[in-house]
Amino acid sequence: MPKLSKNKSHGVLQNGFFATVNDYPIAGGWGLKGKFFAVGDASGSIHAFDGTSGQEVWKNPQAHLGGILSMSASSNGKQLASVGQDGQLALWDFADGQMQHRTEIASGWVEHVAWSKSSNHLAVSSGRVLTILSSSGEKIWSSGNHPSTVSALGWVTDQEISTACYGRVTFFNSSSGQENERLEWQGSLVSLALSPDGNVVACGSQDKSVHFWRRSNGQDSMMSGYPWKPSELAFSHDGLLLATGGGEDVTIWSFDENGPEGTTPGVLEFHKAPISSLAFSPYQRHLASGCREGGVVVWSVGKKGSVRGLGGAPLDGAVENVYWRPDGRSLAAIDSEGGITVWRVKKI
Amino acid sequence: MNNPSKVPVTILTGFLGSGKTTLLNRILSEEHGKRIAVIENEYGEVGIDQALVINADEEIFEMSNGCICCTVRGDLIRVLGNLMKRRDKFDYILLETTGLADPGPVAQTFFMDDEIASEFSLDGIVTLVDAHHINQQLGRSQESTEQIAFADVILLNKTDLVQAEELDALETRLREMNRLARVHRCERANVAIPTVLNLEAFNLDQVLANHPTFLEPEYPFEWTGIYELEPGRYKLSLDDGPDPTMSLVMVERLDPNEEALQQGAEWSVRRYAEPAFKISPNNIVPMDQHVELQLQLSGQKSFAIEIERQTSLALFAQHTAEEFNLRLSASDNAEVLPVLERTWVAQHEHDDEVGSVAIEADGDVNANKLNVWLGKLLREKGVDIFRMKGFISIAGESQRFVFQGVHMLFDGQPERPWGDDPRHNQLVFIGRNLDGDTMKREFEACLN
Repeated sequence: MPKLSKNKSHGVLQNGFFATVNDYPIAGGWGLKGKFFAVGDASGSIHAFDGTSGQEVWKNPQAHLGGILSMSASSNGKQLASVGQDGQLALWDFADGQMQHRTEIASGWVEHVAWSKSSNHLAVSSGRVLTILSSSGEKIWSSGNHPSTVSALGWVTDQEISTACYGRVTFFNSSSGQENERLEWQGSLVSLALSPDGNVVACGSQDKSVHFWRRSNGQDSMMSGYPWKPSELAFSHDGLLLATGGGEDVTIWSFDENGPEGTTPGVLEFHKAPISSLAFSPYQRHLASGCREGGVVVWSVGKKGSVRGLGGAPLDGAVENVYWRPDGRSLAAIDSEGGITVWRVKKI
Repeated sequence: MNNPSKVPVTILTGFLGSGKTTLLNRILSEEHGKRIAVIENEYGEVGIDQALVINADEEIFEMSNGCICCTVRGDLIRVLGNLMKRRDKFDYILLETTGLADPGPVAQTFFMDDEIASEFSLDGIVTLVDAHHINQQLGRSQESTEQIAFADVILLNKTDLVQAEELDALETRLREMNRLARVHRCERANVAIPTVLNLEAFNLDQVLANHPTFLEPEYPFEWTGIYELEPGRYKLSLDDGPDPTMSLVMVERLDPNEEALQQGAEWSVRRYAEPAFKISPNNIVPMDQHVELQLQLSGQKSFAIEIERQTSLALFAQHTAEEFNLRLSASDNAEVLPVLERTWVAQHEHDDEVGSVAIEADGDVNANKLNVWLGKLLREKGVDIFRMKGFISIAGESQRFVFQGVHMLFDGQPERPWGDDPRHNQLVFIGRNLDGDTMKREFEACLN
C-alpha cells in the first residue's frame, strides 16, 4: 500500500505521493498523458500507480522471469513495453495492465527497449543484435551482430534508429534495416543521447569522457576529465544543453552559438555522491538530477549553462532514475530501496 | 577501501578440463547457507545446480589511450551492474572464466570501473591446473602461463594421474613462476573451501595479516620422508655423501597427507632458522629440533631414534635420501620404508618466460628515490608485470608501507607500525622476462 513520505521537499518540488515496490525498481514510465506511472522491478513485476493519488491501479507480478531490464512507455501513452532476463518483450495496455503481446527476442537478456517518437515502432536489443518491431509486437527486421553488445539505443527520427556499442555508433533505416552511417571511436560507449533535431549524438565512454559528433558536418569532439564514466546524459528540449553525469557534479555543455568547444561548461555542485540520473523537463530548461546517496534536485539552466537551484528532496535510497510527467508538471523518482516518489512541480 | 558491504568475487581460471566445474559444484554444495551467484564464460563440463548461473560472452574493451591497464571486460560490467541491483540476494560471486581468457582485464575491471569497484571486492584469483596436462599447456599457450602468473591460489588438480616425482617437479616449476601464490595439491578439486574463498588477496589491510611474509618459503630442506613407526628404537644410517654434515628436523605425529605435510614444512622452516645442535654418530637424535648430523667419518654412520608411542615420523632433511643413501631400520635390522616422500629441491629444467622476482633487503628506503624507480619500472615494464605485492620500510615513517598491484595499477598504504621489529623490505613481482638482477640493483640504490 502506498504511504505518505516523511521526506521533506523544498522549493518547486511539492509532496505528491510515496509508494513502494518489493524489489529494486529498474525502470519507470508515465502513461496515459501522465495519468499513471508504472514501475518494473528486479523481481520481474510491474506495478502501475495513479499519478496523482499513488493508488496502485494494476500489477503483473511475473511479467519477466528473472527480472525487468528495461521499460519504455509509448509517446501516445497507451502502451508500455517491457523487456527482461527471460529474453522476452511484452506489451501492456497502460490503462488496465492487460498483456497485448509477448514475444521471444533472444535466449539471453534483452537489455534495451525504446518506442519510436510516433509510437509506431519499437526497438529492442539483446546482446549484439538490434530488432525492430511494430507497435503490435511483430518483428520487422533484425540487425546482424554488432562488434559487441549494444549498450544504448536512440531513435533519431521515426525513420532512423541508432545504437551504441564498443567502438562505434551505428545508424539504421528503421524500415529497411539498411545501415545509414557509422561513427567510430575506439572506446567503450556506455550511453547515448541525441539532440532533438538529430544532429548531435553524444556518448559517454568507459574511459571517463563524453564524445560527440555533429552529423551535419562530421565534426566530432571529446570532453574528458570526468572522475567517473558518464553513464548519464540528457539533452534539453531545445537541444541547446547537454547535461552529463560521471561524478558528483553535473557538467552542462552549451551548444549555443559555437559551443561547446572552447567554452567553460556549467557545473552543478551539490550532490555528495555520484550522479545516477539526469532528465530535462519536456518544455523548459529545467533539469532534474539524482544521485547515489539519495536526493533529487531540480535546476533552472540558462542557455550558456549557468545554473540556479529550484528545489530538491532527499530520498532514502540511491536514485535509480527520474521521469518528468509529459506535461512537465510532475516528477517521479525511483530509488534502490523500492521507493517511488512523485512530486508536483510548482510552475515558475 | 575496506567496505564490509562489498560483495566478494572469486575468479576461477584454468583450462577446460582442469576441474573448474567440479570445484564450483563443491563450493556450492558445501557453502549451501550462502547465496552465491555464478558467472560463467563457457559451458561447464557438468551442470551447476543450486545457484543463479549467468552466462556472459567475453568482451574485452580496450580504451582509446591504448593503456593495457585500462582494458576491462564489458560483459562483466554489465552483468555485475545488474547483480548489484539485487545484491541483497547474494553473499558471494564466483566468476568462472574460459581457459583462454586473459585474467588481466577480468581483474582490472574491479579496479578500473568505479561502479563495480564501489560495490564489489575482488577477493582472489584461483587457478586450477590439470597436473596431467599443464606442462604441455604451458609450452603452447600464453593464456595458461598468465593464469598461473595472476593466481593467488594454484590448485594442482588431478594429482592421482601423475607420478610423485613429476608432481614435485611441476610444483617447483609453478612456484618459480609465481612465488606469491599458495599451491595446493588435490584430486577432483577436493580442497577445503577456506583455501579458495575469502582470501582478501587484494585487500591491503589484510595482506600482512594473511601473509606475514609474502614469499612462499624457499625450503632449506630438500627431502621429506614420513614413516609409520611402532614404539621402539630405530637406526638412521647414512653413507658418504656430498657434505660433511647434514641438517635435519624430525617431527612426530605428522599424518602422511598433503595438508599436514605443508604445515609440517612451514613449521620446520622456522626450526631450520634456529641454531643447530651438532649430533655425532651413535647418539640419539632429538625430536622437534634443528640438528646437524656430523658425517665427517668415512663409511656408514648411524644415529638412534627412539619412539615411545606409535607415531608417524617426518624427517625434513637438508639433502635428498638418495644423496646419502639414507635409510631407517628397526631393531631387527629390517628396513622401514617411508609411506610418503617429497623432494623439495628446486629443479631448473624449465626456462619459463614468466617468473617471479623477489627482492629482500634490510634497512630503510628513500621515498623519493623509490617513487622514481617504481614509476619508471611500471612505465617501462607495467605491461609485463602481472602482479606485485610487498612491504617497504620508508625512512622516517613509523609504519610499514604495503602495496599490491596489477600491471600499472598500483595501490599502496601505510600499515601497522614497525615497533621493535627489524626494519626490512620485501617486494615480489611476477612478470614476463623480468630482469631480476637489474631490479634488485635498482631497488638497492633506493636504500639509505
